[in-house]
Amino acid sequence: MGKTKLMKALLALMLVLLVALAACSGDSDDGQSEGTDSGSDSGDSAEADDEGESDSESELYSIDDFNQIKTNEGEAIDGGTLTFGLVSDTAFEGTLNWNFYSGDPDAQILDWFDEALLTWDENYVYTNDGAATYEISEDGHVFTFTIGDNVNWHDGEPVTAEDWLFAHEVIGHPDYDGPRYGSDFTNIEGMEEYHAGEADTISGIKVIDDKTLEITYIQATPSLVTGSIWTYPLAKHIFGDMEVAEMSASPEVRENPIGFGPFKVESIVPGESVTMVKNEDYWRGEPNLDGVTVKVINPNVVVQELESGGVDTVSAFQVDQYPDNADMSNVEYLGRIDRSYSYIGFKLGTWDKENGEVVTDPEAKMADVNLRKAMWHAVDNTTVGERFYNGLRWNATTLIPPSHPEFHDDSNAGVSYDPEAAKQLLDEAGYVDVDGDNFRENPDGEELVINFASMSGGEVAEPLAQYYIQAWEQVGLNVQLLDGRLQEFNSFYDRVGQNGDDDPAVDIYSAAWGVGIDVDPRGLYGRDAIFNFSRYSSDKNDELLAAGVSEDAFELENRQKVYNEWQQFMIDEVPVFPTLYRSELVPVNNRVHNYYIGDGTNMYRYDIAVTQEEPIVAE
Amino acid sequence: MEMNKVNADVQASDQVRSPSGFSILWREIVRDKVALISLILLILTCMFVYGISLFLDQGEIVKVDLFAIHEPPNDQFILGTDYGGRDVFGQLIIGTRNSLSIGILVTLISGTVGILLGLISGYFGGHIDNAAMRLVDFFMVLPTLMIVIVFVTIVSDYSIWSFSLIMSAFLWMGIARLIRSKALQERELDYVQASKTLGSSNFKIMFAQVLPNLSSIIIVTMTLNLAANIGIESGLSFLGFGFPESTPSLGTLISYARNPQTLEFRWWIWLPAAILILILMLAINNVGQALKRATDARQRRG
Repeated sequence: MGKTKLMKALLALMLVLLVALAACSGDSDDGQSEGTDSGSDSGDSAEADDEGESDSESELYSIDDFNQIKTNEGEAIDGGTLTFGLVSDTAFEGTLNWNFYSGDPDAQILDWFDEALLTWDENYVYTNDGAATYEISEDGHVFTFTIGDNVNWHDGEPVTAEDWLFAHEVIGHPDYDGPRYGSDFTNIEGMEEYHAGEADTISGIKVIDDKTLEITYIQATPSLVTGSIWTYPLAKHIFGDMEVAEMSASPEVRENPIGFGPFKVESIVPGESVTMVKNEDYWRGEPNLDGVTVKVINPNVVVQELESGGVDTVSAFQVDQYPDNADMSNVEYLGRIDRSYSYIGFKLGTWDKENGEVVTDPEAKMADVNLRKAMWHAVDNTTVGERFYNGLRWNATTLIPPSHPEFHDDSNAGVSYDPEAAKQLLDEAGYVDVDGDNFRENPDGEELVINFASMSGGEVAEPLAQYYIQAWEQVGLNVQLLDGRLQEFNSFYDRVGQNGDDDPAVDIYSAAWGVGIDVDPRGLYGRDAIFNFSRYSSDKNDELLAAGVSEDAFELENRQKVYNEWQQFMIDEVPVFPTLYRSELVPVNNRVHNYYIGDGTNMYRYDIAVTQEEPIVAE
Repeated sequence: MEMNKVNADVQASDQVRSPSGFSILWREIVRDKVALISLILLILTCMFVYGISLFLDQGEIVKVDLFAIHEPPNDQFILGTDYGGRDVFGQLIIGTRNSLSIGILVTLISGTVGILLGLISGYFGGHIDNAAMRLVDFFMVLPTLMIVIVFVTIVSDYSIWSFSLIMSAFLWMGIARLIRSKALQERELDYVQASKTLGSSNFKIMFAQVLPNLSSIIIVTMTLNLAANIGIESGLSFLGFGFPESTPSLGTLISYARNPQTLEFRWWIWLPAAILILILMLAINNVGQALKRATDARQRRG
C-alpha cells in the first residue's frame, strides 16, 4: 500500500510541476508580444511588412537599429561604482599586464586600468588623440612618438620613452615567455639581432628625450598604422631590476598590477573578481565613477545576473539569447558588427610542413570551381540568418566583413541563392546522375560523396549543418557529415589542419574566424599561412595579397582597389565562401551613462557615470 | 551437518518453487497492483512506440525546416518543434524507440557475456574461476563512463549497434559476478553431482540443468539492468556523447534543456521526454522489484 501512496504523491508532484511550467511559459509569451510592439517602432517599414507575413513568433532584428553608444536618461550622480560581468566558464588567469597576458578574460580586466599609448578610429587607424602622438617620416619607415606630459603611472611616476623602449626590450628578449613576439616585432630594425643575443640594444629604437621615442621599421606597410605598433609601455622603475623570465609570474603582474588607465587595481580575488578605484591623476581628467568591480559570471546565468542587477553590463552576450530577452526592462542593448564571419571551406590541397607552405592539389575532389560555386548557389543564407538568428546574423557576400567599412565592398553582391543556377552549373561541369539514385556522380561517372566536417558547440550547430546538407541534396549532391556526427572543437581544428596534419577524409568544412584589426588577409589566405585551411594558393592570389601591403597601398584608394579586386577574385575562385556576417550585442543597465562598445566612438572610460547607487532591477 | 542443512534449505525452497519459476514470477506481479499497472504501461508504451515508428520516416522527422522553428504545440505539430523546426512528437517516438532498443540490446549483449562467463567460472571453479574473476576485477576498476566517452568519440562507424557494443563492453561485470556466485552454490548440489556421475557432459549440465535453475535471478537482474542501461544511454546523449541529433533519443531531447532559453520558455521540447523517461524507469523498476521479491520466498506476497 505504501507504494501506491508514493505513486500517487509522485503523480501529484508531476502535475504540479506541469502547471507551474505552463504558467511560466504563459507569462513569458505575454512579455514577448509586448517586446514585438515596441521593437517594430524602430524597424523600417519594409521590415515591418516582412514581419506581418511571417508568423508572429519570430521577429526580425537588424544590427542597424542598435547604437554603439548608450543613450543617457536622467541625471548622473557623482561617483558610484560599476559592476562589470566577465562572462567566462573558467576563472581568469590573472596575468594582468599587456606585455604578458594571453587570454581574452585578462584583456577585459586590463582594459579598465591600463591602456594603449595610441588610440585608433573606427577604421582602426592610429589617431593623435591618445596619450601619445605620432609622426611618420616621408618614406614611411621612421615613426616618432611623443608621450603626453601629464601621462603618469598609477604610482605617480611619469610614463617615459624609456618605459616604451623597455617593453620592446623585454618582449624581444630571448627569455621572454609571453606570446607577443612575432612579425610585428621582427619588422623593427635590429630586433632580430637583439632577439638572437647578437646585439645588446635594438638599433631601430632610439630614445630622443624623456617623452620622445623613434622607431625605425624595416618594411613600410599600411598595416603599421592599423595595429602593428606595440603601444604598451612597461614600467621600468618597477620591472627594471627583474629577470625577464620571472616578470610574468611576479607579484607586480599578478597581485599589484600597474597601469596608467582611468582606474587602479585595489584588490584581486584570484580567478573571481577585481576591485578597482578611480585614478584621480588620470591624464584625460578625473573619472566620474568612484570605482569598478569586475567579476566573473558563468555564461548560463548572464541573463539572470542582468535582470537582477547583479552586473551592470557584461563582456559578451550570445545573440541567440536576444529574441527571448529583447524586452528586458532595465537594460539597453548596444550593438555593432562583429569582425568575424562564418564560412564554408573546400579542401583543395595539403600543408607542407617542411617548407611551411600550402600545396594545392589540382586533382582534389573539390578542385572543380563550378562544383564549389554551385554549392554556394545552393544555400540560402538570408533565410538561415533570419530564421536561426532573427536577422542578427545575415547573408555574407565577401571575405572582408562590413566591420571594416573602408575595405568591405558594398557593391559586390557575392553569389546569390539560386538552386537552378547551381543545377545548371553542375550539369555543365559534367556532374550528372548516371545511376539514377538522385545523386550526381562526378564527371568520370564515379560516385561522389562529399564529407562535411562541422563543429559542435554552437547553439544551432546541428540543425545548421543539417540544413546545409539538405540544401545540397536539393541540387543533387550527396554530402555526409564526417563520421556521421559533429566534431568537437579541438578535434575539428586538428582534422581541418591547425597543426598542418590535414585529415584527407575532410572534403568541406564549416567554421568561423575573425578578421584582425588590420584588414590584411594574408594570415588567413596567404600561401604561407597554416590557417589557410582550404590550402588554396595561386599566383594571382599571392600578387593581390602582396599588393595590399605594399608601399603603394599607403594610398587608401589604392589599397581599396586591391582589396576590392581580391574580394571579387575569391568569389570567382571560391576556395571558401562566407556564409554569415555576425553582430555583437551588449546589454547595459539603464543607470549607466556614456557606455560604449567598439572602436572609434571618441568616448573613453573615464566618462562613464551612473544615475543611482544601485543597478536598476528588471520589472 | 553443514552440508545437510544447506540441502534441507534447498529442498524446502524447491518444494515451494515446484509450480515452476515463471508462474511464481507472474503471480507476484499480478498480486502487486503497482507492478501490474507498470507492466501494462510498459507493454503499451512499447507497442505504441514500436508500432507508430513503423509509419514514421526518421529522415523526414529530422529534416530541418527553417520556417517552423520553435513552434509551440499546435494542430500540425502535436508537441511543437525544436530549434531546427523539427517535429518534437516524431522525435519523441523515434527517440523512445532508439533509447529502448539500445537499452534492450545492451542488456542482452552484456547479459549474455556476463552469464556465459559467470557460469563457466562458477561451474568449473579453480584456476578458471580465478582467471575470470581477475578479469572482472580489472574491468570493474576502470572508470567506465570516461572510457565509454572516449570510445564513442573515436569510433568512426557510429550506429546503434556500435554504441550498444561499446556500452556492453563495460557493463557485463556485475551480472557475471552474480551468476558466478550462484553457479558456485549450484554445482555443490546433489543433482549436479548425480548428473556428473551419470556421465553428462559439462556443457549439458551447465546449460541444460544449472542455467534453468538460475533463470529467475537472471530475469530479475536483467530487468533492473534494463532501466539502468536506458538511463546510461540517456545520460550520455544528454552530455553530448550519444547520437547526433539526426538519430534522436530521449537523452538528446532532454539535452536541449541545457540551453537556459529552452528550459525557461520552451517546455514542450524537453518536458515530454523527461516525463517519459521517468515513467519508463519507474515502470521497469516496479516490475523488477516485484520479480525480485518473487525469487525470495520470505518476501513474496503471492
